[in-house]
Amino acid sequence: MRFNPSLTTRLRIGFLLLFALLLAVSLLGVGRLFQIRVDFEDETTRYFQLELEAERLRAGFILEQAAIRPPARGAQPSAADFARARESFADAAARASEETGDDEALAASLGRVVASEGAWRGSVAEPLVAGRAPPAAVQRRLTGAVTTEVERLTAGTNEAREAAREDAREDTRSTVILVVAGLAGALLAALILFSGLINSMRAPLARLVDGARRLAGGELDTRVQVGGPVEISELGKAFNEMAISLERDARERDRVEQMKDDFVLTVSHELRTPVTVVKGFAEMLTADRRSLKARQREAAEVIAESAGQLQNMIEDLLDLARSDAGILRIDPEPTSARALAQRAGRQMRPNFDGKGQKLTVSVEKSLPEVKADADRIGQVLSNLLTNANKYAPEGARVRLSASRNGSTVEFAVADTGPGLDREELEHVFERFWRAQGGETRAVGGTGLGLAIAKSLVELHGGRISAESVPGEGTEFRFTVPVARAGRRRGRSGKRTASKPSGSRRASPRRSR
Amino acid sequence: MSRILVADDSETVLLMLQRRLEMSGYEVSTVTDGEQVLEAIAGDELPDLILLDAMMPRLSGVDALQRLRESGCEIPVVMISAHLDAQEPKRMTALGADGTVPKPFDWDELIGQIERLI
Repeated sequence: MRFNPSLTTRLRIGFLLLFALLLAVSLLGVGRLFQIRVDFEDETTRYFQLELEAERLRAGFILEQAAIRPPARGAQPSAADFARARESFADAAARASEETGDDEALAASLGRVVASEGAWRGSVAEPLVAGRAPPAAVQRRLTGAVTTEVERLTAGTNEAREAAREDAREDTRSTVILVVAGLAGALLAALILFSGLINSMRAPLARLVDGARRLAGGELDTRVQVGGPVEISELGKAFNEMAISLERDARERDRVEQMKDDFVLTVSHELRTPVTVVKGFAEMLTADRRSLKARQREAAEVIAESAGQLQNMIEDLLDLARSDAGILRIDPEPTSARALAQRAGRQMRPNFDGKGQKLTVSVEKSLPEVKADADRIGQVLSNLLTNANKYAPEGARVRLSASRNGSTVEFAVADTGPGLDREELEHVFERFWRAQGGETRAVGGTGLGLAIAKSLVELHGGRISAESVPGEGTEFRFTVPVARAGRRRGRSGKRTASKPSGSRRASPRRSR
Repeated sequence: MSRILVADDSETVLLMLQRRLEMSGYEVSTVTDGEQVLEAIAGDELPDLILLDAMMPRLSGVDALQRLRESGCEIPVVMISAHLDAQEPKRMTALGADGTVPKPFDWDELIGQIERLI
């Protein structure tokens, strides 16, 4: 496995490296500056010393000259005085030679001083002490030579000191430049290191962000490529585990949903046949009135009615199961909105009459045709009217109306029943929900009618809504799109002929 | 007396249909799958109308209808459809059915269609 340190380790290594570099550069720089300073001071001290010795040489030579000058006219210079002066000059020369160090030019200059003094002593001082005066020109020449050499030594020393100062300055400057360059280099190295660190995180982080977005968008099979520093790759692994878990949960949920849908469809389907048979035979019994006693006929009627209710509930459950499974289909064709409303009113009227309620049907004249599955919109109207019939008290008024509303026809069923409060209205289209009124238990039904109505209206591309004032009544409205002009009308006519009114869904809640 | 051949895979449904149609004065014979429909048509006594359940084992009503029409048989056929799909009546008509009634039955509609075709 390749070396893959954690983020903290990387950061630590980076900072340590940076720190070490900065420390090394600083220490080297400061040490070198210190050394330059110390060397400079040593040299300066030495050159001052040498200069001082040069002065002593000059003074010594003056003493020597003084010693060989006669104290008075005709007197002999004192050999002892000269010897003392000579000693002082030699002392100075010896000390100066210690100070010249490894500076060859100065050593040579000092050597020339000593040599010129030697020449002067041999040719001028000693003959004079011995009483022989050398020619004046020789005296002057040799004396001048010594003086000149001493002055040269002094000047050379000064120059050397200046040169040492210049050297120290130059060294200081170059050292400072080197230190600055070193610091800059260390910072640059750190920058490269850290940007490398960030780059090593960028790609895996970008993959994670992308993966999270795709996962949120519903692509549950999303997995990210794991990589980068340990922390980031751990994050990637955790992300993948989460995605796997999410996908598994979603699969399980889908499977359970599918099982539920299949169950409802299968059960409803299997219930259909026996209920159909029970209802069919019971209806045959009730139709054959003469061969039955009154009580037998009554029993047959109850069986037929109950089987009919059971059948309606099964049909409702099947519709909802189909709606959930996405296989609830409608067959919309241009249909007269007026005929839809009037047929629903006609079919439901007996129920209202039976409860002493007044049903009015008011349809705008010249309503356009709607694009509707006549059976299914009939079912919606029937469900709404059945609700009004059930929940409104005796003597209530119920109004079924249809009117043009933009590119739709709006159907409305309004009653003067007990109404629904705001909270109840929110739940009114939920399946199995039923109003909590006092009569609820007395009111039959599965609580599926409005849920189915909503599914059917939305399948047609319409909208359904409910409004209510508690104590005053409830109004349900739904829209159905107007059929586009120029559609064939023959088919709808033929269809009506082959499927006369009163097909399966025409009176789903016929309770009498 | 007009004769009707009824095909449905459920014995109870068959019995119910038979009794109900007999009440309306028809002579009814029953079979339980599409193969038997074809056998019955091959015999001498042809029915005046066939009431055919769309979904049956072995040979379904839809397949039986196709075979009948392919063989040139022109006996009126009314299909019994579970009506799982709103397009079903159209498809049946396209296959040569003369009518379609939904299941569960609406007797008025069923009898009405039969009377119209015989």
